[in-house]
Amino acid sequence: MKKSIDLTLKIWRQERTGEKGRFEIYRANTISQDMSFLEMLDVVNEELTKEGREPIAFDNDCREGICGMCGAVVNGRPHGPEKGTTLCQLHMRHFSDGDTLVIEPWRSRAFPVIKDLVTDRIALDHLIQAGGYISVNVGSAPEANSIPVSQHHSDKSMDAAACIGCGACIAACPNGSAMLFIGAKISHLALLPQGKPEAARRAIRMVKAMDQLGFGNCSNITECQAECPKEIKIVNIARLNREYVKAYLVSEEK
Amino acid sequence: MSWLFSFIWSSLGRKLLMALTGFCFCMFLVMHLFGNLMLYGGRDAFNGYAEKLHQLGVLVTVFELGLLTFGIIHVLTGSILFYQNFAARPVRYAVRASGGGQTLGSATMPYTGFLVLVFVVFHLIDFHFADRTNATIYDIVSTAFHDPFHLATYIFVMIVVAVHVSHGFWSAFQTFGLNHVKYMPLIKGLSLAFAFVVGLGFGFIPIYIALFRGQ
Amino acid sequence: MELDGHIPGGPLPEKWDRHRFELKLVNPANKRKFELIVVGTGLAGGSASASLAELGYSVKTFCIQDTPRRAHSIAAQGGINAAKNYTNEGDSIWRLFYDTIKGGDFRAREGNVYRLAQVSNAIIDHCVAQGVPFAREYGGLLANRSFGGAQVARTFYARGQTGQQLLLGAYSSLMRQVVAGRVKLFPRREMLDLVVVKNRARGIITRNLITGEIESHSAHAVVLATGGYGNVYFLSTNAMASNASASYRCHKKGAYFANPCFTQIHPTCIPVHGTYQSKLTLMSESLRNDGRVWVPKNPGDRRLPGEIPEPERDYYLERIYPSFGNLVPRDVASRAAKAQCDQGKGVGETGLAVYLDFADAIRRDGRQAIEKKYGNLFQMYEKITGEDPYEVPMMIYPAVHYTMGGLWVDYNLMSTIPGLFVLGEANFSDHGANRLGASALMQGLADGYFIIPYTMGGYLTSVSLEEVDASCPDFREAGLLAKERIHRLLSVNGKRTVDEFHRKLGLIMWDYCGMSRSNAGLEKAKGIIQQLRSEFWEDVKVPGRNESFNQSLERAGRVADFLEFAELMVDDALARHESCGGHFNEAYQTEEAEPLRDDQNCCHVAAWEYAGEGKATVFHKEPLVFENVSLARRSYK
Repeated sequence: MKKSIDLTLKIWRQERTGEKGRFEIYRANTISQDMSFLEMLDVVNEELTKEGREPIAFDNDCREGICGMCGAVVNGRPHGPEKGTTLCQLHMRHFSDGDTLVIEPWRSRAFPVIKDLVTDRIALDHLIQAGGYISVNVGSAPEANSIPVSQHHSDKSMDAAACIGCGACIAACPNGSAMLFIGAKISHLALLPQGKPEAARRAIRMVKAMDQLGFGNCSNITECQAECPKEIKIVNIARLNREYVKAYLVSEEK
Repeated sequence: MSWLFSFIWSSLGRKLLMALTGFCFCMFLVMHLFGNLMLYGGRDAFNGYAEKLHQLGVLVTVFELGLLTFGIIHVLTGSILFYQNFAARPVRYAVRASGGGQTLGSATMPYTGFLVLVFVVFHLIDFHFADRTNATIYDIVSTAFHDPFHLATYIFVMIVVAVHVSHGFWSAFQTFGLNHVKYMPLIKGLSLAFAFVVGLGFGFIPIYIALFRGQ
Repeated sequence: MELDGHIPGGPLPEKWDRHRFELKLVNPANKRKFELIVVGTGLAGGSASASLAELGYSVKTFCIQDTPRRAHSIAAQGGINAAKNYTNEGDSIWRLFYDTIKGGDFRAREGNVYRLAQVSNAIIDHCVAQGVPFAREYGGLLANRSFGGAQVARTFYARGQTGQQLLLGAYSSLMRQVVAGRVKLFPRREMLDLVVVKNRARGIITRNLITGEIESHSAHAVVLATGGYGNVYFLSTNAMASNASASYRCHKKGAYFANPCFTQIHPTCIPVHGTYQSKLTLMSESLRNDGRVWVPKNPGDRRLPGEIPEPERDYYLERIYPSFGNLVPRDVASRAAKAQCDQGKGVGETGLAVYLDFADAIRRDGRQAIEKKYGNLFQMYEKITGEDPYEVPMMIYPAVHYTMGGLWVDYNLMSTIPGLFVLGEANFSDHGANRLGASALMQGLADGYFIIPYTMGGYLTSVSLEEVDASCPDFREAGLLAKERIHRLLSVNGKRTVDEFHRKLGLIMWDYCGMSRSNAGLEKAKGIIQQLRSEFWEDVKVPGRNESFNQSLERAGRVADFLEFAELMVDDALARHESCGGHFNEAYQTEEAEPLRDDQNCCHVAAWEYAGEGKATVFHKEPLVFENVSLARRSYK
């Protein structure tokens, strides 16, 4: 059970945005299989530091799979090979002695590389700013139970709201599309009565923002759904499509 | 009407255009297949069918123009999408792997689409614009399918078409927002069945003619 | 000196209303002219930024992550309390107030805690209106569960992700204000110092974590919502970037630090399994509803759990606390686990774990019933440990989870530096010596949505502030000092990495200032912390340079502050001559090893004033006055 393994890592190194990057090869020896993937990188970084070399930059924070900060593409798979798992929750027992791991940052025009495996995902904030909210000021809310929501709708809304904003859907999509991300937000809010008044405006604006930010177009390949660490489904994209058509063809919103 | 332009020209609008035109082509394939089934009836049945069709006169022209328009929309929009999607990832991954989402159809849409486009051009030159002064349409078709190169090309392209529609069919439903936990498995099943029928239905006709019908 | 918390007079239920009336209002047309800085975007900072911007103030919001949505409030699992009494069990504002103040072992202010209970209901209303998908009953109304040993079901929850959903609610409101142009967002910034001009907080110095640029930002007031200092222990359930630097920098600029020794150690976490470990993961304490905690009776018993027969097992919680059994409060359960491990009865590879066994529950209710209740937690456990808790008992061990101490604030949430407000976990105000489950989310949002919008106005109308900007000498000086410190860190060029120092500090704090403390241990810790601190400045190796994205440098700055702050914690622990809540000093216990509170001499808030480099911090006292509750002893026997 308590086995340690040796790995070869091919990691993308890039000094800053716009600069040319390259792969460099590192050895990660006697890695305990109880380690998480990021702890394995910690060990490599400690050694690099001691050797006087610059450690590998990678984003991470909560290390319990909820903040959405971490993420890299491991052997072609965002967040690595395990289903429904963020990189920080991926453990080394899923790898074998002698494996070679190619580790790359999210690749998308909308996510420029800041350094090594760190990308700038501010575009996701811009998407939410376009309409991923309900316009309510503090103080004006009605009593909580005056807005009943069927358990079914509430559950489906929660399924969509579970998005952690990591960007793996965009990294996984062969087209680099952000449809699952905005589909999840639009579904989360469209399924609730509180979100209905702004539904049309929200759909139009979020899609517009997505188009302007340099994301690709959805062609229903469903890699996003397969790689989402929170297993958010493409039914949310279908709901976005409905909301969008409704917004343009039924509502008076432009 | 600027809203209409914004609507149609957004990524989602274009996706709807692809789905709408693509779905119409699926319907066209069904009609085309029914017509082609007449080939099994032999020379007279098929020529009779062709004649009846041409008697519709201006209706045929309208239909053809419609197809042409849809074709142009589908191809142009598809090309734009292909370019944009390519541009959305300026640096490619060194290693590409699938998490299990993509299928042969979905992964190859632009490429199978391109092949089908090239095929359609040749197909039209072959049969639609063929010189019919000395031969009936049946003769032209029969001659063509007795040529091994023609035969192989047609069979290959029919497989390509099947792969293309295997994704296109269900994908259109998803794009129209018709994804429901109860019906989606059915739609996906139907999509595969449709691809199978199209591939086999169109693909077997040349084989039948080559093997069982003399020139 | 005795500190005044500025608690308004009058009967407890009327204090807040009266105070709100007495606070002067800022003319709506003038609000835009006031610039406010909010540091941190968790529940407290996010909600404060949004609500202040809604009022019309010009807000500048800073966060350390790439987007405000990632603050560590996001990781809270359990839920948020409110006194709605939807379940008709007799809950009320008064009962929530009483439970919270008793749970805090009577070391919090009555006025603050009552106000917290008062605004709790409005928080739920607002979050529902924002679209937070709380759990619901079949009829479509909100569901409640009981949590953390409360006798009424008053906890609202969104699956196991309540913190995430509440934070995304605050984040969405914040994003709305960004579009409206009332909030300017500064992500990937770390606050390096507070700028005090003429004795008032007027701005901050930050480092742009991408470019390394040292920036100055001025404002009329500063709101600090930078969370707790749990990472002083290196291993904790906090996020990797959680740190004490912002608070500690303010402390060094004159803000008193209150009760730093009050730390909460959560009993049900996944044990440490290797020296490489970077963080600890919490398992919801609801597991103790069905799991039985045990260790082998004989020290050093290395057999597998299945091979240890029933008579050779010690279900120690059930034995020592027959009436509460496995459900004793967090601090009690944590200390008991440590005591067992100290006797050599700990299990697992490191001997620092106890079993949490579901075999009886599975036998009694069937595997399906257990799966329904705890399926996701079991799955999470298996993901991390690779062991199936349906087959073998879980292993758990306590871990640092929350810090009740923080910067001292008055009733207006203002620190001892005028114009510096402190919200959420970063302040000390509402949880006393121990925080109850589902209370942290409540406090963060109460501070941000419902308290700071009023008290900020009160402050701004009560002072006349001259215009300052980044070119003022105070800003220039603070910026230069920040740069100089970074230069010092980079130029040590020693042999040991930042993490090595941090790990070592964590162990010292865990051993001597953790679950159980002794005067001798604390004295010893003080010495070795000082020693470690000087080693740090002689031997740390920080690779890279300032003018780039440099995570080692970021960590180095934080660890340097932890190395100073740790000593403050130890001082505070030494100065509190009693055991209460999260602070257990072996010198103050009953014959049965239960904590012994000293209400005669220690019923106060300890607030520490920084006295300068190398000088002992100065102790100040804010006496706690209880007019509405009688101080009872907690007993769980």
